[in-house]
Amino acid sequence: MSRKFLETESPAWVAEGLISEAQRARLLARYPSDAVQAVGLLPLLGSILVGLSALSVVAANWQSLPTQLRLGLLLGSLMSAYAGGEYFLRRGNRRVGHGLIGLGLVLFGASIILTSQLYQLVGYDISGLLAWVVVGVLLSYLYNSQTLILLPILIGAAVQTYCTQALGIFSYATMGLVALGSGYRWWRRPDTLMASVLAVGLLWQAALWVALSHSKITWFFIPAMLIYAAGDWHRDRAAGRALQGPPLVAAYLFALGLALFGETDQYAGLLRPPVLAYLGALAALFALSVAGKRQQGRLASLPDWLLLLPGFYLPGGLPLAIATLVVLYAHAGSVLARAHRSGEAEQLTLGTVLFIIATMVAYFKLTWAFLDKSLFFLIGGVLLLSLSWYLRRRNASRLAAGVASAAGNAPTPTPASPPSPPEPLA
Amino acid sequence: MPTRHTPSHRLLVRLLVAAQVLYVLGVAGAGYATTAYGQHIWLATAPVELHSLQYESFVRLRYTAAEAPLTAWRGASPPQRRQAVYVLLNTGPDSLATVAGVYAKTLKPNPGQAVLRGWVTEVYNHTLGLRYNLERYYVPGDSPLRLGKTSPAVRVRVSIAPWGQARIERVELLKKPTAAR
Repeated sequence: MSRKFLETESPAWVAEGLISEAQRARLLARYPSDAVQAVGLLPLLGSILVGLSALSVVAANWQSLPTQLRLGLLLGSLMSAYAGGEYFLRRGNRRVGHGLIGLGLVLFGASIILTSQLYQLVGYDISGLLAWVVVGVLLSYLYNSQTLILLPILIGAAVQTYCTQALGIFSYATMGLVALGSGYRWWRRPDTLMASVLAVGLLWQAALWVALSHSKITWFFIPAMLIYAAGDWHRDRAAGRALQGPPLVAAYLFALGLALFGETDQYAGLLRPPVLAYLGALAALFALSVAGKRQQGRLASLPDWLLLLPGFYLPGGLPLAIATLVVLYAHAGSVLARAHRSGEAEQLTLGTVLFIIATMVAYFKLTWAFLDKSLFFLIGGVLLLSLSWYLRRRNASRLAAGVASAAGNAPTPTPASPPSPPEPLA
Repeated sequence: MPTRHTPSHRLLVRLLVAAQVLYVLGVAGAGYATTAYGQHIWLATAPVELHSLQYESFVRLRYTAAEAPLTAWRGASPPQRRQAVYVLLNTGPDSLATVAGVYAKTLKPNPGQAVLRGWVTEVYNHTLGLRYNLERYYVPGDSPLRLGKTSPAVRVRVSIAPWGQARIERVELLKKPTAAR
C-alpha cells in the first residue's frame, strides 16, 4: 500500500468510524514520506556520474595505455569492488554491498576478456568464460542476495550463446554448472522470481543445443520437462509452480503451433524424432513427474501433461489439427475445472483465456475455407462475445459464492448488504 | 548457507577474490609465455581495411590461409561446417606460411612445419573456408596501422604455444608507410 493511497483514503476511514484519528496519525507515521528517500538517491546518482567519467577517460585511452597499467587497472577495480561490497555489508547496507559484489563479478568477466584481448589470445578455449560462471555460482552461495543468485544464470546463458554462436560448440560444463549449481541453490532457498529466471535460462541453453545439433525441435521438450518434473518434487508449491511456468508456456505454444500449422505433413515431418527413443524418454519423465506430484499431493496438476501428447506422430492433415484442438480444449477445461475447485481468481482468468484461444483457433481453422468472409468475421465475433460473457458470468458467480461462504464462516455476523461482486475478468 | 559475517565466511570471500586475481594474472602469463616459448610463423593476409578503426579498436584480418582447396582435406569423413580442425602449415625461417593439409585430428609437425587450430566456416565445391580466431587484431596505440594509410599490405607474426594456444605477436607493413598528410 502506498503512502499516497493512505493519505487520500484515510480521512474517509476516520469519517466512517473504521479507525480513530489517533490511529490514522500512527498509520501515517509508520509509512514515512517518499521524499526523504529520494534525497538519499542523490549521492548514488552523483557517484554514478563520477564513475562514468572515470570509465570514459579509461575507455578512450585504453589502447594507448601501457600493458602493466591496463592489467593493474583491471585488477585494482576488481579488488576494490569486492572490498567495497564487504565494507558496505559490514555496515549493514545490504543493497549497495550486494550491488558492489555483483559489480566485482562483472569486472572479473571483463578482466578475463580484456586481458585475452590485451595479449591477442585466441578465444577458442572457453576456460576463461567457464571460470566466470564458476565464480558466479560460488558467490551466489556465499551471499544471500537475489542479484547474486540471478547473475550466474544470466552469465551462463550469455556464455552458452557465445560458445554456440561464435565457437560452434555446446558447453555441457556451463549447462551443468547452472543446472546443478544454481539449481541446488534454488532447491535449498526457493524463490519464485529465481525459479522462473532459472527455468528460462536453462530452456534458452536447451534451445541453443537443439539448434546447434540440428536435432528435431521436439527433443527440446525432454530437458524442458525435466525442469518441470524438478518443480513437482519441490516441497514449496509456489516455487515449484514458478519453475514449471516457462516449460509449460513453451509446451503450450508448441501445441498451438501444431494446431495452426500441423496440417502440412512437411511441418509435422520436421517434428518426428525416433519413436522409441523419444517416447521412452518422455515416459520416464512422466513417471518421474507423477511420482513427485503424488509425494507432494499435487496430482490435480496432472492434466498439464496433456500438452505433451505426441500428436505429431499422427499423419499430417486435418486429423492432426483436430486432435491437437481436442487436446487444447481438454487442457483449457482442466485448468478451468481446477480453478473452480480452488476458487483462485488468477487461475480462472488463465483458464478463460486458454479456452477462448482454443475456440478462436478452432473457428479459424475449421470455417475459414467454407464461409463468406463477412459472415465469417460476424459469426466469429458473436461467438467470442457470447463465450466471454458466459465465462465471465460463471466466474463471477463462482467467486461471489466463494466470498459469501467465507463470510458465512466468519465468527462475527456480517452486515445484511450482499458482498459486492468481484471485478469481472478480462 | 553462510551469510553472516563470520571469520570463515570472510576467509572464503578473500580466497575467492584471490583466485580471481590469480586467474587473470594466469591469462596474462599465458600470453607472455606463448611469445616466449612458442613457435613463430608469418601469415599473409589481404590488404587491411582500416575504416573500422574509426569506430572500433580492432581491424579484421583476412588470411590467405583462410581458404584451402578441398584436396588438402585429410579426414576420414567429409568436412562439416563448424568442425574443429588442425591446419598443417609449411613454414620457412622468414617466409610466409602455406597450408599443407587440413586434419580432423591433432598431429605432430615435422621440422619446418607448424600446426594451427582452426574451424571450418563453410564448405564450398572446391574449397574450404577456415577461421583461426586470429581474425581480430586489437591495434595497439603505437602501431603503424594507426597512421591511417588506406588498405596497407601487411604480414602477421603469429606465435603458437607448445600447448596449442596461438596469438598475434605483431602486424608488419610490407612497404614503408608513406607519411600521413
